[in-house]
Amino acid sequence: MSRIRKTRRRALAVSGVAFSAAVALAACAPPGSDGADDASTRLTGDPTCGEDAVVLDAYFETGFPLPGALAEEFTRQYPNVTFDIREDQFAVITQNAPRTLQDSPPDLMRLPQMSELASDGLLLDLDPYAEAFGWDAWPASQLEQMRVDEDGSRGDGPLYAMGLGYSMTGVFYNKELAAQIGMTEPPATLAELDGYLAAARDAGITPVSQFNGGATGGLAFPLQALMASYGDTAAVNDWIYQKPGADIDTPENLAAAEHLAGWIDEGYFADDVNSIDYAQMMSRFIDGESLFMFNGDWESGNLDAQMPGGAGFFLMPPIEAGGAIGAMSAPATYGIAATAEHAECAAFFLNWAATDEEARTIEVETGGSHPMGPADGVMPEVAEGSVTAATLAAGAAISEADGAMDFIANATGAIYAQSWTPNLQKLVAGEQTPAGLLESVQADYESQVGD
Amino acid sequence: MIVSRREKIIGRVILVVLMLVTVLPFASIFVTALHEPGSYPRGIEWPEAPHWENFALAFQSADMFRLLGSSVLIELGVVPAAVLLATLAGFGLGHLRPPGARALFVVFILGLTLPFEGIITPLYFQIRDLGILNTRWAIILPLIGLFMPFAVIWMRANFATIPKELSEAARVDGATTWHLFWRIHIPLSVPAISSLAILLFLWTWNQFLLAIVLVADPAQRTMAGALGAFQGRYGTDIPLLCAGSLLILTPTLIVFLVFQRKFVSALLQGSLKG
Amino acid sequence: MPTPASTAPTPGLGGAARSRPPAPGRRARRRRAGGHLLAYALVAPAALFYAFFVLRPIVASAQYSFYDWNGVTTATWAGFDNYVAVLSEPKLVGAILNAFELILYFSIVPVGIALFAANLIRSIAASRLAAAARTVLFIPQVIPLVAAGIIWSWQLSSDGLVNQVLRAAGLDAVTRAWLGDFDTALPAVGVIGAWVQTGLCLVLILAGMTRIDASLYEAARIDGAGPVREFFSITLPGVRQEIAVCVTVTVISALASFDIIYVATQGGPGDSTLVPGLQIFYLAFFEREIGTASAFSIVLMALVIAVVLPLQRLLRGSES
Repeated sequence: MSRIRKTRRRALAVSGVAFSAAVALAACAPPGSDGADDASTRLTGDPTCGEDAVVLDAYFETGFPLPGALAEEFTRQYPNVTFDIREDQFAVITQNAPRTLQDSPPDLMRLPQMSELASDGLLLDLDPYAEAFGWDAWPASQLEQMRVDEDGSRGDGPLYAMGLGYSMTGVFYNKELAAQIGMTEPPATLAELDGYLAAARDAGITPVSQFNGGATGGLAFPLQALMASYGDTAAVNDWIYQKPGADIDTPENLAAAEHLAGWIDEGYFADDVNSIDYAQMMSRFIDGESLFMFNGDWESGNLDAQMPGGAGFFLMPPIEAGGAIGAMSAPATYGIAATAEHAECAAFFLNWAATDEEARTIEVETGGSHPMGPADGVMPEVAEGSVTAATLAAGAAISEADGAMDFIANATGAIYAQSWTPNLQKLVAGEQTPAGLLESVQADYESQVGD
Repeated sequence: MIVSRREKIIGRVILVVLMLVTVLPFASIFVTALHEPGSYPRGIEWPEAPHWENFALAFQSADMFRLLGSSVLIELGVVPAAVLLATLAGFGLGHLRPPGARALFVVFILGLTLPFEGIITPLYFQIRDLGILNTRWAIILPLIGLFMPFAVIWMRANFATIPKELSEAARVDGATTWHLFWRIHIPLSVPAISSLAILLFLWTWNQFLLAIVLVADPAQRTMAGALGAFQGRYGTDIPLLCAGSLLILTPTLIVFLVFQRKFVSALLQGSLKG
Repeated sequence: MPTPASTAPTPGLGGAARSRPPAPGRRARRRRAGGHLLAYALVAPAALFYAFFVLRPIVASAQYSFYDWNGVTTATWAGFDNYVAVLSEPKLVGAILNAFELILYFSIVPVGIALFAANLIRSIAASRLAAAARTVLFIPQVIPLVAAGIIWSWQLSSDGLVNQVLRAAGLDAVTRAWLGDFDTALPAVGVIGAWVQTGLCLVLILAGMTRIDASLYEAARIDGAGPVREFFSITLPGVRQEIAVCVTVTVISALASFDIIYVATQGGPGDSTLVPGLQIFYLAFFEREIGTASAFSIVLMALVIAVVLPLQRLLRGSES
């Protein structure tokens, strides 16, 4: 008996020793006290890729051929530069971004929402390059979305990313199916669009197969488009840019969310939207299984190739004919890690992509989007009647109306995956109300911005 | 045993149903893998023109040779080391039993039920500070540590069951501890050691969380981690994903079918010792 | 498999407190002392690896859990805030509840099926068909869980095999995207887990049943016992140990689930399949709330121990 007790006491003692040894192994200071060095860029002369062999470490998004095509062309023009490209889906990039930028810094990376990445010093400040390359002579609105101040609020402050073209979203439609329901031209008002949606449903055509599954809530596309129809794009932008006091839960946005909920109730979305992923949406649209698709001009080139002459594009119509229009429009942002090895060459590549004639042509033809760069930059010829022509025209209309908004999913790093997506999925399932959706997103936003 | 004919028939039917449920999903992804890349096949449906080249495509896209090489290197780093350390410690705790052996044993038991997610966060920073992030060491070293509770307890149980009389007789004959260990205990422990090696092999091969968190490059990961990367990249192309998954599974299945008796008995032994 | 514990039959805790050999003489004692040193030296490498890569991170987790830290800048003291968040935020509490619901599918269902099936198969356990089945049913155990997740995501999708079978059976009305529906996503993830675990449980329990002395059954039949009474009075007690192993292993795999859900649903739709493991991953590496992630880790480890220890007691009883 006593032996057992003794053994047990000794057991406790030894486990105590092992435990305290482990404690001693762990540092007792608060974690993270050795912050990363603040790498400030000093430039001497014009930035170039030099003459020596350079391998740019790049991290791109799967399914978008544009950056790869640009990289290929760049290597053709500058044979000393090659690319080591890693690809992931956007949701995966989003999850990996902080870790990757900090601990395996790529020279060139497709960026998700970037305010925290920038304010934590993980991204390279591109202002010295902007100055050296003369980017400041471009229309200021092009770069605005990629400026982040030290609080993580966007729209102002140093430049932390560059676009490989800027994209715009709206509504694609299948011309053949549209003809079947008597839609001969794009709707001019929201009520007309409602009418076509109903007509398609009644004709047994799936009106919309929108992606909304997994970690990607694609109903954010129609929702934000409706926000532009109901309200002012500037207010939405303020919210996205984290301007103090900004609120997504406004009467206009509530009306937009209720309109979207109405579409869900009317059965305008495919039954399985909550499990459709992006590629599935594309496949269904191209195969003529759905009439409309809320998506962006980055697919224009692809649609022109896969269904020549078969697809059209229009901007979400205003409530009254001739009313204010708006659209989500944002650069496809690429950044350079703060500690990237070949930052200078990467910056040179970004400048080249916006100014080289060949690169701009690739951006329009492969990417379907409008190149960055000077207002009078060269534009390639586009076939009339193609989707690409339609999206470029819509882009011009949006910039004339000053109706561009960033994406509501870009307000904070986590707002899309952790807030918009689950809440939109709940909205589809009838587990969330339009008011609850906005309230819940706003609450998450405040807790994330507050940090 | 008294067994009626009916019972036997019911038993067979049930076995067949269970086997079907197990195998059908594999058949389904095999058929799906033969469809046109980028398409969305409906259920099990033999394609009009089977795209056998999908396997070649997936083989290239996944860079199978490098993946296999990487997994093998990781296995070589983990399994021999872990088995050796566990065998030594198991002998120490199960046979020699110094004072405090019981307490050390309890400390190891603490780690037995540990979910890896519980320590993945600090482990990330620890691995980063060691400067081995994004290398195979980032998987190898922590895995050895994480396998210790199970492996040590397994080997300890093995040495504890070796009859005392054998050791005592050897001692009387003047055998040193080394002799005792090498000539008597190890030969008797071969089944336990090989079962342990098989289990550790399998768990290393299939390790996912450490791979996706600690190593960015799929070509430096385990097979499961590489499969995760393959899904992250080609997950939207169902036929290609199915082809790639099957390819990545093939080595595991081959190893399993070759050593199946060993595999099953390794896990059964675990329960016998319970 | 994500953790060794998740599939490993847990070796017993018994057999440790054996009596020592009779008191040794003086010379023997000196040899003993040297032997002790040797014993410690043998244990040391394993113990060091374990301490550095397991115990140290556990302690660090506990430390981080009291800080507000984004992994980059200097952390600030947060007291118990992180624990309050874990135990009060509906999303995080929901993740814990989901994990408990998964126990039903990952553990209770497979063990139930395995018991039922093993009892019926028992009589033909030695047949060639049974030997083949042992191999086939084990396949889900040896493939990575990620693969199981990928394979089943496809079977459970709108156009997948499950719906195809249902349609063939005339059940068009119930077909749906099983992983994309709030009501069915968690059970659908459960189906994947059950598919993985049933084979292991069946083979283990069947092995246990074949070890039961056949004369017990003959005696029972002579006494006029029906199959039901036979099951409860002979079979069930006879495989108690195997059941204990199955339940322990599968319960841990439910509470610590990650791989399957990471590939199949990413926690969605909404938060309906969010589990602690996935939430820790998101918090730590995506939202970069290291403190909250660490607090959640500590809570998860505590939960696993809190569930497994009583289970061990309950199922193993006081067998030595």
